[in-house]
Amino acid sequence: MNTIIIFSFFAVFFRLTDLMILSHKRLSEKAKQQHIKVEDIQIRRGIIFDRQGRELALNLELESLYCEPDSLNLDNESVRKLASTIAKEPEVILTKIPSEGKFAWIERKLEPDIAERVKGLNIKGLGFMNEAKRVYPKGKLASHVLGFVGVDNQALEGIELQYDRYLKTRGGKVFFGRDASGRTLSSGVDKEAKGNNIVLTIDEGLQGIVEKEIEKAMLQWGAAAASAIMMDPFTGEILALANRPSYDPNNPGKVNDFEKRNRAITDCYEPGSTFKTVVGIAALEENIARPDMLFDVGKGGIEVGGKIIRDVHRHGILTFNEVIQKSSNVGSVMIGMRLGKERVYKYAKLLGFGEKTGIDLPGEVSGWIRPPERWSGTSIGAIPIGQEVAVTPLQVLRAYSAIANGGSLVRPHVVSEIISPEGKLLVSLRDMEMNRIISKKTAETFKDILKGVVEEGGTGKSASIEGNEVAGKTGTAQIINPKTKRYSKEKFVSSFVGFVPADNPRLALIVVIYEPKGQIYGGVVAAPVFRGITNQALSYLDIPMEDNPHKNPLLVSR
Amino acid sequence: MMSFIFKPLCIALLLSGLFSLVWLKSNVVTLEYKLSALEKKKAEYLKERRILLAEKASLQSYESVEASLRGDHDFVFPDRVKVVHVTPVRNKYREGVGLSNGVKRQKGSLTKKASLEKRQSAGP
Repeated sequence: MNTIIIFSFFAVFFRLTDLMILSHKRLSEKAKQQHIKVEDIQIRRGIIFDRQGRELALNLELESLYCEPDSLNLDNESVRKLASTIAKEPEVILTKIPSEGKFAWIERKLEPDIAERVKGLNIKGLGFMNEAKRVYPKGKLASHVLGFVGVDNQALEGIELQYDRYLKTRGGKVFFGRDASGRTLSSGVDKEAKGNNIVLTIDEGLQGIVEKEIEKAMLQWGAAAASAIMMDPFTGEILALANRPSYDPNNPGKVNDFEKRNRAITDCYEPGSTFKTVVGIAALEENIARPDMLFDVGKGGIEVGGKIIRDVHRHGILTFNEVIQKSSNVGSVMIGMRLGKERVYKYAKLLGFGEKTGIDLPGEVSGWIRPPERWSGTSIGAIPIGQEVAVTPLQVLRAYSAIANGGSLVRPHVVSEIISPEGKLLVSLRDMEMNRIISKKTAETFKDILKGVVEEGGTGKSASIEGNEVAGKTGTAQIINPKTKRYSKEKFVSSFVGFVPADNPRLALIVVIYEPKGQIYGGVVAAPVFRGITNQALSYLDIPMEDNPHKNPLLVSR
Repeated sequence: MMSFIFKPLCIALLLSGLFSLVWLKSNVVTLEYKLSALEKKKAEYLKERRILLAEKASLQSYESVEASLRGDHDFVFPDRVKVVHVTPVRNKYREGVGLSNGVKRQKGSLTKKASLEKRQSAGP
């Protein structure tokens, strides 16, 4: 009996020695693995707001379905049920499940009701994990500005890409204690890491108006594409930027590159008559011409380098003002020839052509204008009327904004503020410095000339609105046929660019319609779109009319 | 005599100290379980809140508001020609006591108001 007791004591002693000394490290590690649960800290991208604080991009928390192949119990019936629940083919699901392993995704970011239905199937070996899904609650609205993210929330386009380093944040791990039944103890740590929020200069209301109107124009003219940009001419704040065709950033996988392209900054076109402003401004600035100076364009054509450039309609003698107002090609070429190629080039560069505007969106192109030494014999006849140059709609709008604001070139931008998740202002991009490029006097004179374009006798009459003066310019340009390398006789780009109210500009707007059918002229195709947008935009912004007709007042405000 | 009382007292104190420690520890663990359950509940509510926020943002979008108003209520943009803007006469007394707009202005205005609005209020 004594021997048994002594032997038992020794057995207990050896076991304790084994547990507490010899196997201590191994067992301690194993215990830790069983007691401590490690989870990734969920990363939430920052929210994107419009200028009024309306959410344009935010995050949802959805459940993703995964499986543990080693313990998965999936017969044919279960596969069929699972496939019908998540609306996938059974074969697609089977290809996602490896024969062995501890983890494999089956479907990411399921809608809450679908996740609940999958849970109801009670299939052993399936599990759910919470993941953040980026959503754009306004759908297509401002999709080319916002951009989108991939399935792992990696930035792919637009603001999401440009400001990715502010929107995303670092994750990390969080450790929990847990008991034998799997219940976790509080870690006392926030399981979420939030990125910085971004406030855009875009206004959802103005963006909606712009998108609605260009959509209408696309349908009306059977156009291939359309772009419109609205900007504050004094600050460079982009108030609206829209393109058609467009896409829903909530489903970027279903979109082709043609729809994704932010053509307002990535596509070049020959500006046509909207470029006549360059020679006009240069002539005034260099004292080559005065507003009342006469130009004889009665012949209807002018020969430059063996090529004859003609007017659409034959005019007699025109003043400098009328050359711009009636968009005379012959008059513009005459002015260009008086200036000479060096000065035409100098002012084109001063007005920002051939260089990126520096907008804070990815993919902007610089366009191009050849330096004078590379001009051909016909270039001095082509460039003053907006041929042989490639511009983006944004560049043209910026040049006209310089006229609107009294002669300064602004830097267009779409982000006004970056705010930390706690609400602290990190970066403010407002009220940036402007670079004066032309004199105030020239800007004011040219503003008056552009007002004439929208008045009776001008090419842009259909851009005029009741109650406020509009200043602007029409543009009609041919597109080069890539097969023949010559200007197409069927394909045109119609545009209108201007600002309103002309004497106290609040909005600068460009409308570009690519390949309209039936009509081609900027004054017919694009100018009415300008009118439609500005009329509603002024109403939306509560900008009063300049004259007061006292006709049947409906309501009194302010 | 002293040791007769002192010894059991010490043992009782020691035992009660030990039990208190165990009791405290178990209470801490129970609280941690409760906290964990509350955290889960909070996470659920936050998740729901996010869904509701997204739904609200979607319902308040320019497009859906315009469509619903136009469809059922025949709302249209006001005809600018029929709108007259009247600048209110400044009332020094009301401004002095902070009643110029009926309510006191909020300090630290919202960040969203950018220069467009600033210039609008200081406009012609």
